[in-house]
Amino acid sequence: MSGHTRTGIDSPLVRSISATLSALPAYQSALADAPPAYTEVGIRHSYYTEDSLDASAVTFGSRSRYDIDVTQLWIEAPVGGSWSVALDVQNDAMSGASPWFVGVGLDGEPGVVMSGASIKDNRVEVGVTTRYFWADGNAGLAISHSDEDDYRALSFAFDASWNSDDNARTWTASASRSNDTVTPVKERIPVFIDEESLQTQSLYFGVSQILSRTQIVRIGLSYTMSEGYLTDPYKFADHRPEDHDRWTLSSGYRQFYSALDGALQVDYRLYSDSWGTDSHTLEVGWHQNLGRHVLAPYLRYYTQSEADFFSPIADREADYYADDYRLSSYGALTAGLRWTVQLGDWQIETQAERYQSDGEWGLFSGEEAPALVDFWRATVGLTWRFD
Amino acid sequence: MKPVVVKLIVVCGLNLLTGCAGPEPVAPWERGYLADPAMQWQRSAREAKFAGHVYTSKEASSGGSGAAGGGCGCN
Repeated sequence: MSGHTRTGIDSPLVRSISATLSALPAYQSALADAPPAYTEVGIRHSYYTEDSLDASAVTFGSRSRYDIDVTQLWIEAPVGGSWSVALDVQNDAMSGASPWFVGVGLDGEPGVVMSGASIKDNRVEVGVTTRYFWADGNAGLAISHSDEDDYRALSFAFDASWNSDDNARTWTASASRSNDTVTPVKERIPVFIDEESLQTQSLYFGVSQILSRTQIVRIGLSYTMSEGYLTDPYKFADHRPEDHDRWTLSSGYRQFYSALDGALQVDYRLYSDSWGTDSHTLEVGWHQNLGRHVLAPYLRYYTQSEADFFSPIADREADYYADDYRLSSYGALTAGLRWTVQLGDWQIETQAERYQSDGEWGLFSGEEAPALVDFWRATVGLTWRFD
Repeated sequence: MKPVVVKLIVVCGLNLLTGCAGPEPVAPWERGYLADPAMQWQRSAREAKFAGHVYTSKEASSGGSGAAGGGCGCN
C-alpha cells in the first residue's frame, strides 16, 4: 500500500513556514498553520529496475524481473484564506516477470519457477487532498483512486494536527479506510479466482516535541487491520489468512549543526503483525545545505522475521502456506543520494538508490528464500512555484 | 534485543507525553534552525509516497508514517 501523503520539503507550505517563524509549531517539518502562500506544480519521473536472479536460483523461466516507470504529477494551491487543495496523479508502467512458485531444483536446493517475461500492467492513481488551517493546527481529507488491469482501490484518509500553547509540542491523529478489489488477469498464468475484495482500516497517533533550538523528536503508534482476500493470486503455492493486523511504533530525531549548515536525520520503526512477522527499520541521513544546492545521502537497514506460514518450499497440505520471498527472514541495506538545486521559482531534484537484501544480513533466524530482491531506482523531478 | 529497544522507545515516549524529559524552552525567535528544510521529517512528500510504495511492495512491513493509503496489486 502506498503511504499517506504529507506535505514536505518542496511544498509551498514550507515557504509559508519560513515566513511565519514566530509561530513555528513542533510539527513544522510537516505542515504550517496557514495555507500555502504559493501555487506549486511539479513532475517527477522515476525508474525502478530489479536485478536478474542468479541462474542457480532459477529452475525454469526467465531470470529477469520487474522494471517500472513511474510518473508523478501534482498541483497544490491555496484556496481562500484558510484552505488548500492538492491534486496528485501517478502512472506506473510495469513489465517483467515475478516468481510463480518455488520447487526443488536439479541440485536438490529450492529453485524458482518464474511467471514468464510477458507480464505488462499499468496503474493510474488519482488523489485529491483538501486541508483546512486554523490558528493552532490543521486538518486534511484525502481521497484516492487506484486502477490497474487486475486491481482497484478506493481510499479515504483524515488527519488532524494541533499544537500545545507554546507551539513546542504537536499532536497528530489520522485514520484511513481502503476498499480494494482484485480481478486477476487469467492469460498470464493459471489463477483460481475471478474477483475478490479486501478492506483495510488504519489509525495513527503521534506527537512531536521541540527539545532545543537545534533538536526535534517525534514518536508515533499505528494500527492497521485488513480483512478479505490477502493471498497473492499469481502465486501457485500461496494461501494466506483473511485477517491481517499490523502495529508499528515509529520514532524520529533531527539535529541541526549550525557550524556545518547541515542536519542529522535518524528514524526508527518497530513493526509486528498477526502473521508472526516482526521487523526493525533504521534510517540515518545527512542533509547538507550548500547555498542553492542540497546534498542528502542516506543509509537504511531493514530486517524482518518470517511469517508463521512461510517456508522456502510451501507445504500445500497446511491450513496456510506461502513461499513468497517477501514473507521470509532476511536483512536489507539501502544506500541513496538526493541532490536538489533551487533556481528562482524552479527546483530541480535528482535521486538514486541501491537496495540489496540477503538472508544472512537479517537479525532473525529462518531459512533463506531463493528469490530475494535487489534493485536500483532513480528519479528526476522539476517543481515550479508561483503566486 | 527487541525488548531493550521497545523499552527504550516506550520510556522516551512516556517522557515526551508527560514532559518529564524537560526540553528547554525555545522562544519563537530562536526557531530558525528548526525551520530549515534539513529538519523535515520527509525528504519530500512525493518522494516519501514513492519510497513507501516501493518498500511496502517488496517487504512484509508497512505503516508508521501516518494513515495508510489504498493498496495495489504489486508483485
